Amino acid sequence: MRSKTLFLFVLATLTVFIISGCAKQKIGSVSPNGVVGSTQKNRLSAEESRGNAARKAREQALKERQLAEEQLAKEEAEKKKAIEQAVETISANKIYFDFDSFELKPEARAILQQKAELLKKYKNLRLVIEGHCDERGTEEYNLALGERRARAAYEFLILLGVESDRMQIVSYGEEFPADPGHNETAWAKNRRDEFKVLY
Amino acid sequence: MSKVTSVFFFVLTMIWFGLAWAQDTLVVDIYGPGQEKLNIFLADPLMKGGNGTAPAFATRVQDLIKNNLSFLPFLHQTQSKDILGGSQIGGIQGKDIDFKKFRLSKVDLLLTIGWEDRPGILGSVEIRAFEVFSRKLILGKGYLVQTKEQLPLVAQKFCAELMRVLTGKDKFFRSTLAFVRRQESKKEICLLSPLSGEVKQITNLGGLAMSPAWSFDGQKIVFTFLKNDRHFLGLWDRQTGQVKSYKLPGNTCISPVFTPEQKIAVSIDPEGNPDIYLLQRDMKLDRALVKNWAIDISPSFDSSGKKMVFVSSRLGNPHIFLLNVQENRIERVTYAGKYNTSPSISPDGNWVTFSRRTPEGHRIFVLDLRTGMEKQISFGPGNDEDPSFGPDGYFIVFTSNRSGQYKLYLTTRGGNEPRLLPTGQGEATAPSWGVFE
Repeated sequence: MRSKTLFLFVLATLTVFIISGCAKQKIGSVSPNGVVGSTQKNRLSAEESRGNAARKAREQALKERQLAEEQLAKEEAEKKKAIEQAVETISANKIYFDFDSFELKPEARAILQQKAELLKKYKNLRLVIEGHCDERGTEEYNLALGERRARAAYEFLILLGVESDRMQIVSYGEEFPADPGHNETAWAKNRRDEFKVLY
Repeated sequence: MSKVTSVFFFVLTMIWFGLAWAQDTLVVDIYGPGQEKLNIFLADPLMKGGNGTAPAFATRVQDLIKNNLSFLPFLHQTQSKDILGGSQIGGIQGKDIDFKKFRLSKVDLLLTIGWEDRPGILGSVEIRAFEVFSRKLILGKGYLVQTKEQLPLVAQKFCAELMRVLTGKDKFFRSTLAFVRRQESKKEICLLSPLSGEVKQITNLGGLAMSPAWSFDGQKIVFTFLKNDRHFLGLWDRQTGQVKSYKLPGNTCISPVFTPEQKIAVSIDPEGNPDIYLLQRDMKLDRALVKNWAIDISPSFDSSGKKMVFVSSRLGNPHIFLLNVQENRIERVTYAGKYNTSPSISPDGNWVTFSRRTPEGHRIFVLDLRTGMEKQISFGPGNDEDPSFGPDGYFIVFTSNRSGQYKLYLTTRGGNEPRLLPTGQGEATAPSWGVFE
């Protein structure tokens, strides 16, 4: 009987001990009015800070990525615009010749230098040089003369450092006049090289 | 042409008095200076045997022959009203004709047409040519006509024979012109029968087809073709009606022509200058015929293949040069003017026609290679360009914008009044003469 009582006492003691021991492992107790305890509060705050920091980092990364993308897009747009401008500049500026001549005039050389700089800058651009003539010559001779005019520009651009395999020449002779008139003003406009950019 | 003709036509009679009469009868020296005209009268057709009125088919033959002979500048067609005592003839044979009134009317040649109806076909027609002064029959031909569509061929064959009897040449009436017709921004190759005015488009490439040139046997046409910023060599085959295109080395393909050996000579720039190369039959380069730092284009060969004229700017301006093909010797042949282009050499190799730029515009000239003498044969207005010698070395066709738009005109080496050739709508340029052998 005595040993049974002792056993019950020990059991009760252990139970209390165990219960009290387990109670220490609880995160915290909440008061009846729901206020967190200070220890727990600190712990939560730290976790929140960590969470906020991570979120902020993520947001920052996102923002940076967006900025980078925007920057890239902007750069691409600027690059595209620059290329388009280069294409426009190369295409717009024709060079002109005297009657029955394929000699490059000083102003033609200046225009070709500008084109060469652009072509060297934008390596993905290819160029078709079209040689044209006025209507006064005969058809076959004008085809040959147009070739010489286109070739004059082609060879000058090569001298300025443009790769030959990026350029192609074609003569259209008198087939496509820029000005359909039949006077010296029109003829002067028609004796020309035109530049078509491919990219 | 001859095969087709042989199917449809049968020569009934060939009355030929041999060459003996030809020595003392009418002969026209079409190449001679101060060419004179013969007066010719084409009598109204009669029924063979003198019974009844000739049908409309016979009148059609008469009209066709009149049209064909109008191309021969050495013939003047006398009108009915100018025949003293009336233009009626008693019959189609010499024994039935009163030659005196024609002689008094200064008629040199009299043509008669006799028609005979035949069962199952349209009929038969006999056409005779008499020299009025001697009353000699100089040509008589008879044809069976199956259908009315064959009537132009009857007229064409008779006129070819008549021209051969009178001049020794007959290729004009067997010839076809190739030319370029503009259709908005495109150019296509067409064929033109000078006699009938019939035009047939033979290419439909959608680009710029230029500078057609016939092969000497009349079976092929070679031409320049521009499309997609490239020059190509185009080749049309008469047998198949097909066009093939070839990309040659370099950037240009200008003024291709056939040699008498059926090879192609063309100006291309594989080394940076337009030079004249001979191609192999597979269109690979054979050898350079003319190579120079300057522009060398527009070759034209005589029928022997020994002479080739071409344009070169080696002296600063375009001039005509002659290449002796066998000796590989080049000589300059034009000295006047500063812009001489588009040469065409006569088949016999003695003459060159070309275009010269003058203060009044381009004009056609003819140069005698034996003497160096040249003669202007066209006088505008506007520009006269691209002359091409006919197969007999007599006719010359060229293009001119004298009427506002470029059209084809026919003249002769002697400079006869240019005659407009009907080519339909659109500019017509770059004529080239071919003969079907």
